[in-house]
Amino acid sequence: MTTRSTPERLDEAVETLLAGERPAVDAELRPLTRLADLLADVLRPMPPGPRFEADLGRRLAVEGGRRRVTPGRLLAAGALSSAAVGVTVTAWAMWRSSRRAPALSHRLLQR
Amino acid sequence: MTGRAEPAPRRPADVGDADLPAVRAAQADPAAFDVLYRRYLDRVYGYAFYALGDHHDAEDATERTFLAALAALPSFRDEGASFRAWLFRIARNTVSNARRTRWRRRTEPMPDGFDRPAPNADPAGLVARADETRRVLRALAELPDERRQVVILRFVDGLSAREIGEVLDRSPGAARVLLHRALRDLEARLRP
Repeated sequence: MTTRSTPERLDEAVETLLAGERPAVDAELRPLTRLADLLADVLRPMPPGPRFEADLGRRLAVEGGRRRVTPGRLLAAGALSSAAVGVTVTAWAMWRSSRRAPALSHRLLQR
Repeated sequence: MTGRAEPAPRRPADVGDADLPAVRAAQADPAAFDVLYRRYLDRVYGYAFYALGDHHDAEDATERTFLAALAALPSFRDEGASFRAWLFRIARNTVSNARRTRWRRRTEPMPDGFDRPAPNADPAGLVARADETRRVLRALAELPDERRQVVILRFVDGLSAREIGEVLDRSPGAARVLLHRALRDLEARLRP
Protein backbone atom coordinates (compact mmCIF):
# COMPACT_ATOMS: atom_id res chain seq x y z
CA MET A 1 0.00 0.00 0.00
CA THR A 2 1.46 3.35 -0.99
CA THR A 3 1.53 6.19 1.51
CA ARG A 4 0.24 9.40 0.02
CA SER A 5 1.88 12.68 0.91
CA THR A 6 0.14 15.39 2.94
CA PRO A 7 -0.28 17.69 -0.11
CA GLU A 8 -1.91 14.82 -2.03
CA ARG A 9 -4.33 14.04 0.80
CA LEU A 10 -5.13 17.72 1.24
CA ASP A 11 -5.78 18.12 -2.48
CA GLU A 12 -8.14 15.16 -2.38
CA ALA A 13 -9.96 16.64 0.63
CA VAL A 14 -10.31 19.97 -1.21
CA GLU A 15 -11.64 18.16 -4.27
CA THR A 16 -14.28 16.48 -2.09
CA LEU A 17 -15.20 19.83 -0.51
CA LEU A 18 -15.55 21.53 -3.88
CA ALA A 19 -17.85 18.71 -4.97
CA GLY A 20 -20.11 19.72 -2.05
CA GLU A 21 -19.28 16.77 0.22
CA ARG A 22 -17.52 16.49 3.56
CA PRO A 23 -14.14 14.78 3.42
CA ALA A 24 -12.94 12.37 6.10
CA VAL A 25 -9.59 13.71 7.30
CA ASP A 26 -7.16 13.03 10.12
CA ALA A 27 -6.16 15.47 12.87
CA GLU A 28 -3.18 16.74 10.88
CA LEU A 29 -5.33 17.91 7.99
CA ARG A 30 -8.34 19.08 9.99
CA PRO A 31 -7.33 22.77 10.44
CA LEU A 32 -6.42 23.14 6.76
CA THR A 33 -9.58 21.38 5.63
CA ARG A 34 -11.62 23.71 7.85
CA LEU A 35 -9.87 26.65 6.20
CA ALA A 36 -10.48 25.13 2.76
CA ASP A 37 -14.18 24.90 3.57
CA LEU A 38 -14.19 28.55 4.61
CA LEU A 39 -12.38 29.53 1.39
CA ALA A 40 -14.84 27.56 -0.72
CA ASP A 41 -17.60 29.53 0.99
CA VAL A 42 -15.97 32.96 0.77
CA LEU A 43 -14.31 32.74 -2.65
CA ARG A 44 -17.36 32.23 -4.79
CA PRO A 45 -17.30 32.78 -8.55
CA MET A 46 -17.97 36.44 -9.11
CA PRO A 47 -20.23 37.42 -12.01
CA PRO A 48 -19.51 40.78 -13.64
CA GLY A 49 -22.21 43.38 -14.26
CA PRO A 50 -24.75 42.57 -16.99
CA ARG A 51 -23.81 45.69 -18.93
CA PHE A 52 -20.15 44.70 -19.03
CA GLU A 53 -21.12 41.17 -20.08
CA ALA A 54 -23.27 42.47 -22.94
CA ASP A 55 -20.69 45.04 -24.10
CA LEU A 56 -17.84 42.54 -24.16
CA GLY A 57 -20.07 39.96 -25.85
CA ARG A 58 -20.82 42.47 -28.62
CA ARG A 59 -17.15 43.40 -28.98
CA LEU A 60 -16.15 39.74 -29.26
CA ALA A 61 -18.88 39.16 -31.86
CA VAL A 62 -17.50 42.04 -33.96
CA GLU A 63 -13.94 40.74 -33.56
CA GLY A 64 -15.10 37.23 -34.41
CA GLY A 65 -16.88 38.51 -37.53
CA ARG A 66 -13.73 40.30 -38.62
CA ARG A 67 -11.72 37.11 -38.26
CA ARG A 68 -14.21 34.91 -40.06
CA VAL A 69 -12.76 33.49 -43.30
CA THR A 70 -15.46 32.91 -45.93
CA PRO A 71 -14.92 31.74 -49.57
CA GLY A 72 -16.20 35.12 -50.81
CA ARG A 73 -13.77 36.97 -48.58
CA LEU A 74 -10.92 34.71 -49.74
CA LEU A 75 -11.80 35.41 -53.41
CA ALA A 76 -12.01 39.15 -52.78
CA ALA A 77 -8.68 39.10 -50.93
CA GLY A 78 -7.10 37.13 -53.78
CA ALA A 79 -8.45 39.53 -56.40
CA LEU A 80 -7.29 42.55 -54.44
CA SER A 81 -3.78 41.20 -53.95
CA SER A 82 -3.51 40.26 -57.65
CA ALA A 83 -4.60 43.76 -58.60
CA ALA A 84 -2.12 45.26 -56.14
CA VAL A 85 0.72 43.18 -57.60
CA GLY A 86 -0.30 44.18 -61.16
CA VAL A 87 -0.41 47.89 -60.31
CA THR A 88 2.97 47.70 -58.53
CA VAL A 89 4.69 45.87 -61.42
CA THR A 90 3.24 48.29 -64.00
CA ALA A 91 4.25 51.32 -61.94
CA TRP A 92 7.76 49.94 -61.52
CA ALA A 93 8.09 49.21 -65.26
CA MET A 94 6.91 52.73 -66.14
CA TRP A 95 9.32 54.25 -63.64
CA ARG A 96 12.22 52.21 -65.07
CA SER A 97 11.43 53.17 -68.64
CA SER A 98 11.14 56.85 -67.72
CA ARG A 99 14.60 56.67 -66.08
CA ARG A 100 16.16 54.89 -69.06
CA ALA A 101 14.79 57.18 -71.75
CA PRO A 102 16.84 60.31 -70.94
CA ALA A 103 19.98 58.22 -70.49
CA LEU A 104 19.55 56.65 -73.94
CA SER A 105 18.85 59.99 -75.66
CA HIS A 106 21.85 61.47 -73.87
CA ARG A 107 24.09 58.69 -75.25
CA LEU A 108 22.68 59.18 -78.79
CA LEU A 109 23.37 62.90 -78.65
CA GLN A 110 26.93 62.29 -77.60
CA ARG A 111 27.70 60.11 -80.63
CA MET B 1 -16.96 23.58 9.38
CA THR B 2 -19.11 26.19 7.79
CA GLY B 3 -22.11 25.20 5.73
CA ARG B 4 -22.49 26.46 2.21
CA ALA B 5 -25.73 28.32 1.55
CA GLU B 6 -25.25 28.43 -2.22
CA PRO B 7 -22.90 25.76 -3.55
CA ALA B 8 -20.90 27.32 -6.35
CA PRO B 9 -21.32 25.48 -9.65
CA ARG B 10 -17.73 24.39 -9.97
CA ARG B 11 -16.90 21.69 -12.46
CA PRO B 12 -15.36 18.46 -11.27
CA ALA B 13 -11.66 18.39 -11.97
CA ASP B 14 -9.90 16.08 -14.41
CA VAL B 15 -12.93 14.98 -16.38
CA GLY B 16 -11.22 15.40 -19.75
CA ASP B 17 -11.54 18.46 -21.88
CA ALA B 18 -15.28 18.83 -22.26
CA ASP B 19 -14.69 22.15 -24.02
CA LEU B 20 -13.13 20.59 -27.12
CA PRO B 21 -16.30 20.50 -29.29
CA ALA B 22 -16.94 24.19 -28.55
CA VAL B 23 -13.28 25.01 -29.19
CA ARG B 24 -13.34 23.18 -32.55
CA ALA B 25 -16.52 25.04 -33.50
CA ALA B 26 -14.96 28.39 -32.58
CA GLN B 27 -11.81 27.57 -34.52
CA ALA B 28 -13.94 26.88 -37.60
CA ASP B 29 -16.14 29.92 -37.05
CA PRO B 30 -15.00 32.64 -34.59
CA ALA B 31 -18.64 33.66 -34.09
CA ALA B 32 -19.06 30.41 -32.12
CA PHE B 33 -16.58 31.72 -29.53
CA ASP B 34 -19.61 33.16 -27.75
CA VAL B 35 -20.31 29.73 -26.20
CA LEU B 36 -16.88 29.66 -24.55
CA TYR B 37 -17.21 33.29 -23.54
CA ARG B 38 -20.53 32.67 -21.74
CA ARG B 39 -19.14 29.50 -20.17
CA TYR B 40 -16.04 31.12 -18.70
CA LEU B 41 -16.94 34.78 -18.17
CA ASP B 42 -17.79 34.46 -14.46
CA ARG B 43 -14.72 32.36 -13.74
CA VAL B 44 -12.26 34.58 -15.56
CA TYR B 45 -13.84 37.67 -14.07
CA GLY B 46 -13.81 36.09 -10.58
CA TYR B 47 -10.18 35.11 -10.96
CA ALA B 48 -9.26 38.65 -12.06
CA PHE B 49 -11.35 40.22 -9.32
CA TYR B 50 -9.90 38.18 -6.46
CA ALA B 51 -6.38 38.61 -7.84
CA LEU B 52 -6.69 42.37 -8.42
CA GLY B 53 -9.28 43.36 -5.82
CA ASP B 54 -10.90 46.00 -8.00
CA HIS B 55 -13.96 45.71 -10.23
CA HIS B 56 -12.67 48.07 -12.92
CA ASP B 57 -9.27 46.40 -13.13
CA ALA B 58 -11.00 43.01 -13.19
CA GLU B 59 -13.25 44.10 -16.08
CA ASP B 60 -10.26 45.40 -17.99
CA ALA B 61 -8.30 42.18 -17.41
CA THR B 62 -11.32 40.06 -18.38
CA GLU B 63 -11.77 41.97 -21.63
CA ARG B 64 -8.08 41.63 -22.51
CA THR B 65 -8.13 37.93 -21.67
CA PHE B 66 -11.06 37.10 -23.93
CA LEU B 67 -9.83 39.26 -26.81
CA ALA B 68 -6.39 37.62 -26.57
CA ALA B 69 -7.99 34.17 -26.37
CA LEU B 70 -10.12 34.85 -29.47
CA ALA B 71 -7.05 36.03 -31.38
CA ALA B 72 -4.93 33.04 -30.28
CA LEU B 73 -7.66 30.40 -30.60
CA PRO B 74 -6.50 29.13 -34.04
CA SER B 75 -3.18 28.18 -32.41
CA PHE B 76 -4.81 26.17 -29.58
CA ARG B 77 -3.97 22.49 -29.94
CA ASP B 78 -5.35 19.64 -27.84
CA GLU B 79 -1.95 18.40 -26.73
CA GLY B 80 -2.41 17.61 -23.05
CA ALA B 81 -3.37 21.07 -21.78
CA SER B 82 -7.10 21.62 -21.42
CA PHE B 83 -8.80 24.67 -22.92
CA ARG B 84 -9.59 26.11 -19.50
CA ALA B 85 -5.95 25.75 -18.37
CA TRP B 86 -4.93 27.49 -21.62
CA LEU B 87 -7.49 30.25 -21.03
CA PHE B 88 -6.41 30.77 -17.42
CA ARG B 89 -2.81 30.94 -18.53
CA ILE B 90 -3.79 33.90 -20.69
CA ALA B 91 -5.77 35.34 -17.75
CA ARG B 92 -2.81 34.88 -15.43
CA ASN B 93 -0.48 36.78 -17.81
CA THR B 94 -3.07 39.54 -18.21
CA VAL B 95 -3.56 39.80 -14.44
CA SER B 96 0.21 39.87 -13.86
CA ASN B 97 0.52 42.76 -16.33
CA ALA B 98 -2.38 44.55 -14.64
CA ARG B 99 -0.78 44.08 -11.22
CA ARG B 100 2.47 45.56 -12.48
CA THR B 101 0.59 48.53 -13.94
CA ARG B 102 -1.46 48.93 -10.77
CA TRP B 103 1.59 48.70 -8.57
CA ARG B 104 2.81 51.79 -10.36
CA ARG B 105 -0.55 53.46 -9.73
CA ARG B 106 -0.66 52.19 -6.10
CA THR B 107 -4.38 51.68 -5.53
CA GLU B 108 -5.78 49.96 -2.45
CA PRO B 109 -6.44 46.23 -2.78
CA MET B 110 -9.56 44.28 -1.85
CA PRO B 111 -12.45 46.69 -1.47
CA ASP B 112 -15.58 45.80 0.46
CA GLY B 113 -18.89 45.21 -1.20
CA PHE B 114 -18.79 41.63 -2.38
CA ASP B 115 -20.52 39.97 0.52
CA ARG B 116 -23.78 38.63 -0.75
CA PRO B 117 -25.90 37.87 2.30
CA ALA B 118 -28.60 35.28 2.11
CA PRO B 119 -32.12 36.70 2.40
CA ASN B 120 -33.61 36.53 5.92
CA ALA B 121 -30.18 36.04 7.50
CA ASP B 122 -29.89 37.38 11.03
CA PRO B 123 -28.03 40.71 11.33
CA ALA B 124 -25.49 39.45 13.89
CA GLY B 125 -24.66 36.50 11.64
CA LEU B 126 -24.30 38.83 8.67
CA VAL B 127 -21.87 41.07 10.52
CA ALA B 128 -19.82 38.09 11.69
CA ARG B 129 -19.76 36.66 8.19
CA ALA B 130 -18.79 39.97 6.63
CA ASP B 131 -15.95 40.31 9.16
CA GLU B 132 -14.77 36.80 8.45
CA THR B 133 -14.90 37.41 4.70
CA ARG B 134 -12.90 40.60 5.06
CA ARG B 135 -10.32 38.87 7.23
CA VAL B 136 -9.91 36.02 4.73
CA LEU B 137 -9.66 38.35 1.75
CA ARG B 138 -7.15 40.58 3.51
CA ALA B 139 -5.00 37.57 4.41
CA LEU B 140 -5.32 36.28 0.84
CA ALA B 141 -4.19 39.63 -0.55
CA GLU B 142 -1.09 39.47 1.66
CA LEU B 143 0.00 36.05 0.38
CA PRO B 144 2.96 35.88 -2.01
CA ASP B 145 1.74 36.10 -5.62
CA GLU B 146 2.03 32.43 -6.59
CA ARG B 147 0.39 31.19 -3.39
CA ARG B 148 -2.49 33.62 -3.86
CA GLN B 149 -2.89 32.51 -7.49
CA VAL B 150 -3.04 28.82 -6.56
CA VAL B 151 -5.74 29.47 -3.94
CA ILE B 152 -7.85 31.52 -6.36
CA LEU B 153 -7.46 29.03 -9.21
CA ARG B 154 -8.39 26.12 -6.91
CA PHE B 155 -11.28 27.67 -4.99
CA VAL B 156 -12.78 30.27 -7.31
CA ASP B 157 -12.27 28.51 -10.60
CA GLY B 158 -12.21 24.89 -9.46
CA LEU B 159 -9.10 24.03 -11.46
CA SER B 160 -7.47 20.69 -10.65
CA ALA B 161 -3.84 20.40 -9.51
CA ARG B 162 -2.91 19.27 -13.02
CA GLU B 163 -4.57 22.33 -14.59
CA ILE B 164 -3.04 24.69 -12.02
CA GLY B 165 0.33 23.16 -12.89
CA GLU B 166 -0.33 23.93 -16.56
CA VAL B 167 -1.26 27.52 -15.76
CA LEU B 168 1.70 28.12 -13.47
CA ASP B 169 4.26 26.07 -15.42
CA ARG B 170 4.61 23.49 -12.65
CA SER B 171 4.06 19.76 -12.34
CA PRO B 172 0.78 18.59 -10.74
CA GLY B 173 2.78 17.49 -7.68
CA ALA B 174 4.39 20.91 -7.37
CA ALA B 175 0.96 22.54 -7.67
CA ARG B 176 -0.32 20.36 -4.78
CA VAL B 177 2.67 21.30 -2.65
CA LEU B 178 2.09 24.96 -3.49
CA LEU B 179 -1.56 24.69 -2.45
CA HIS B 180 -0.56 22.99 0.81
CA ARG B 181 1.96 25.75 1.58
CA ALA B 182 -0.52 28.45 0.61
CA LEU B 183 -3.18 27.07 2.97
CA ARG B 184 -0.67 26.68 5.81
CA ASP B 185 0.50 30.25 5.25
CA LEU B 186 -3.07 31.53 5.13
CA GLU B 187 -4.02 29.58 8.25
CA ALA B 188 -1.07 31.09 10.13
CA ARG B 189 -2.10 34.59 9.05
CA LEU B 190 -5.69 34.02 10.16
CA ARG B 191 -4.75 32.55 13.53
CA PRO B 192 -5.84 34.94 16.33
